[in-house]
Amino acid sequence: MAYLVASVGGVLFFVMSVTLLGIWPKRVLEAQSAAMSPENALGMSESARRGRVVYSREGCAYCHTQQVRYLHADMSRFGAPTLAWEGHLDYPHLWGTRRIGPDLSRATGSRSEDWHFTHLYSPRTVVTGSVMPPYPWLFDGAAARPRQDARDLVAYLETLGRAREIAGPEGESHAREGCNCPDDEMAQMAFHEPLNAHPARTRRDGIVPAELMATFRSARAGINDSLPRGRRLYTDHCASCHGSGGAGDGPGAASLRPRPANLVEHEYSDARLAEAMWNGVAGSSMPAWRDHAPNDLAAIGAVVKAFSVTRPIPPLPESLVEAGARVYGSNCVQCHGPQGDGRGPAAAELTMAPTNFREQRPSLDESLRALRNGVDGTPMAPWTSRLDAAEILAVAHYVRGFFGAAPGSGR
Amino acid sequence: MVDRAVPAAVPEVHTTLVHAHGIAALVALLVSVTFGVVASLQFLYPDFSGGVPWLSWGRLRYAHTQGIMLGWLGNAFFAFLYHAVPVLSGRRVTSLRLGRWLFALWNFAVMAPGWVLVLSGVSQPLEWAEFPLMIDGVVVTALVLSAVQFLPPLFTRGLDYLYVSSWYIIGGLVFTLLAYPMGNIVPEFVAGASGAAFSGLWIHDAVGLFVTPLALAIVYFVIPAATRRPIYSHFLSMLGFWLLFFLYPLNGTHHYVFSVIPMSAQIGAIAASTLLGVDVVIVVANLLMSLKGAGLIPRDVGLRFVAAGTVFYLIVSLQGSIQAQMAVNATVHFTDFVVGHSHLAMLGFASFAAAGGLVHVWQRIGWVRYNARLVDHAFWLLAFGVTMMAVDLTIAGVVQGRLWQSGAPWLESVQASRPYWMVRTLAAVPVAGGFIALLAGLTTGPRGGGLATVEDSVDAEPVDEISPRLAPLAGGSS
Repeated sequence: MAYLVASVGGVLFFVMSVTLLGIWPKRVLEAQSAAMSPENALGMSESARRGRVVYSREGCAYCHTQQVRYLHADMSRFGAPTLAWEGHLDYPHLWGTRRIGPDLSRATGSRSEDWHFTHLYSPRTVVTGSVMPPYPWLFDGAAARPRQDARDLVAYLETLGRAREIAGPEGESHAREGCNCPDDEMAQMAFHEPLNAHPARTRRDGIVPAELMATFRSARAGINDSLPRGRRLYTDHCASCHGSGGAGDGPGAASLRPRPANLVEHEYSDARLAEAMWNGVAGSSMPAWRDHAPNDLAAIGAVVKAFSVTRPIPPLPESLVEAGARVYGSNCVQCHGPQGDGRGPAAAELTMAPTNFREQRPSLDESLRALRNGVDGTPMAPWTSRLDAAEILAVAHYVRGFFGAAPGSGR
Repeated sequence: MVDRAVPAAVPEVHTTLVHAHGIAALVALLVSVTFGVVASLQFLYPDFSGGVPWLSWGRLRYAHTQGIMLGWLGNAFFAFLYHAVPVLSGRRVTSLRLGRWLFALWNFAVMAPGWVLVLSGVSQPLEWAEFPLMIDGVVVTALVLSAVQFLPPLFTRGLDYLYVSSWYIIGGLVFTLLAYPMGNIVPEFVAGASGAAFSGLWIHDAVGLFVTPLALAIVYFVIPAATRRPIYSHFLSMLGFWLLFFLYPLNGTHHYVFSVIPMSAQIGAIAASTLLGVDVVIVVANLLMSLKGAGLIPRDVGLRFVAAGTVFYLIVSLQGSIQAQMAVNATVHFTDFVVGHSHLAMLGFASFAAAGGLVHVWQRIGWVRYNARLVDHAFWLLAFGVTMMAVDLTIAGVVQGRLWQSGAPWLESVQASRPYWMVRTLAAVPVAGGFIALLAGLTTGPRGGGLATVEDSVDAEPVDEISPRLAPLAGGSS
């Protein structure tokens, strides 16, 4: 009898724990998922499915969580808390209990594919100071030669957070209705905006806060104070791609298309630098750096400006001065715009915004290189088949003239 | 309860099985520690693996924890059970042949293939459950066999004669058998957040229903056996036992505080975690009262390991109660604080209890080698190493958590962790040294060297409140 009481009692304890903390939450969560999930939540491709297996076997979940908590510290860094339905394809779940690297639940669209490949092949070539182990066995000897495993893994990373993002505002309001919890403060946190707060996520045409612009201007005034700090930050965060001398030849550059900007061969306005650092360069591997203090970004900006060289430029023959405008007008305005601001009629359709020559001036050499060879990884094609050498020279000179011109004016 | 009807003679103890599991435990331990050290080095030298997949951090992390839980603690518990169950029950374990099968199954069908599989990339990404499903099947089979092996002797004479250590053995074996499939298999078939709820249960059940009861079985056995005095209070022992089995399983969801899992489940788990701290205070107070008179640092090394393990148990449990609280959890969850906590639990509490059990058992086998000096060194090295590691990781966790909350760029938390990661790896030196000394201490020295230390250290005062079966001085009898 005593045996019976003890064993029934003991087993009941266990059954109770599984019921209260396993089966009951499962029912609640399933009901919640059914009510809040978009009707046809985005599924996973076969490749992403295989990538999930790679992610599992390499223990990625033991350093990267996939669970944004209902905490402001988490939400401001990663975005909206993870809802139950977002894991509807997670067999088994990959929530994780340790964050050595950042949470990945909102990884979609946050990094370029090239960046992922380079980072997986050799993490410190793009993130100096990272402690992530390299995964060279997913590659065929170079970051630019990913094997199927690496492609699958990156395809999987791109699915993280995507279903909810693609469901869009309609999805969010559907979830809000399904939640039916207007008075539940905690549940309401799930609808945090922005959905994805990844600080490195690029934003095309994103707004640059006025405060940041002001900091850039004041940093220019105190340039000597900010340079040492700027140099240190540049070395920590930028040199791995842009190179220690700014020539766009850092160790991470080789496998990135388009290549990192050559900072020696360009002059940038404060506005352009602030924009590139705050919003990243959409369509390239240049991430945004919104998690950095405005002062620090401005200090880096000062370092970048100091890189650019000005060489004496051979004067353009008189006969070609007028050809520059003509060639530009008939070939370049579609993308770069009549004002040279990169806002031509076709610009919006392109994978990457065309150069805004008003805010960014290539050296003559750089300009010629781009016209002759195109810019790999961008829509800029080589023009040697369409323009002759004299025309190329003329337009190379011409585009440099936009820089620093007053807004609204021509050159 | 005193059972004067049973003769004081110890029934047959299969010392060959004690020995085999003991050695397997120590070998698995050193292998697992090596995995841990190589993994920890990758925080300092991330390219350490040299591009070899099976040396990479993620896979080693899987092999490290599964090795510690199943390879080291599992084998050490079996070694202890082959000694303790006959002593406690006055009956032989079910079968020597079954024992050989169990040994082979556990080491050559679970540990060896489990390690090979996770290192070669066949695994499941579930904490404390990384061995793949096919291995889980073997583990469950082995757990059934171990229940068949050890439980019948304990059920022979009625509950009134069950000593508290026996209660914990029964509890540990039965509940592991229930919890293991729930934690290792269910999440494969339940997606996302719901699966995580089951995973959370298992993360705590692995510690609470497998490791803790069997480690406490050792503690409750070694203290009266070595001091030759009964446990301070049988009532507190039983209160602690039932509270433990009531509260431990209810803790699971505290691994996912501030998640989408229903808030009432989270709060229930946090409440249970708080009460668990109270329970552990009861258990440890009872144990410390039982240790009274043995001195602050008991001369008998087996007892000393167990006593230190008891203190670690108190610290780690109170720490656990505190870190489950929302205000604390918000900062330290996901940080090295938790890693420090689990090392304090598995390396401080459980490994000290297991080592104490092994030493205690070894001392009482006439034919095994025993080097008292090395075992003594092992204790001090381990005590120093685990303290250093736990303190270091605990501070690291607070630093990381604060930096995350500050909104600083992510990499700053990585940079700030470096010195702590270096200290953690350095702490592995005394830990590894201690475990090597333990293995050497139990494989070198004179045969039967342990018997001398037992006679030397045992309190001469005869105590008849405790069954004489609990403190056998006879050498090995098989």
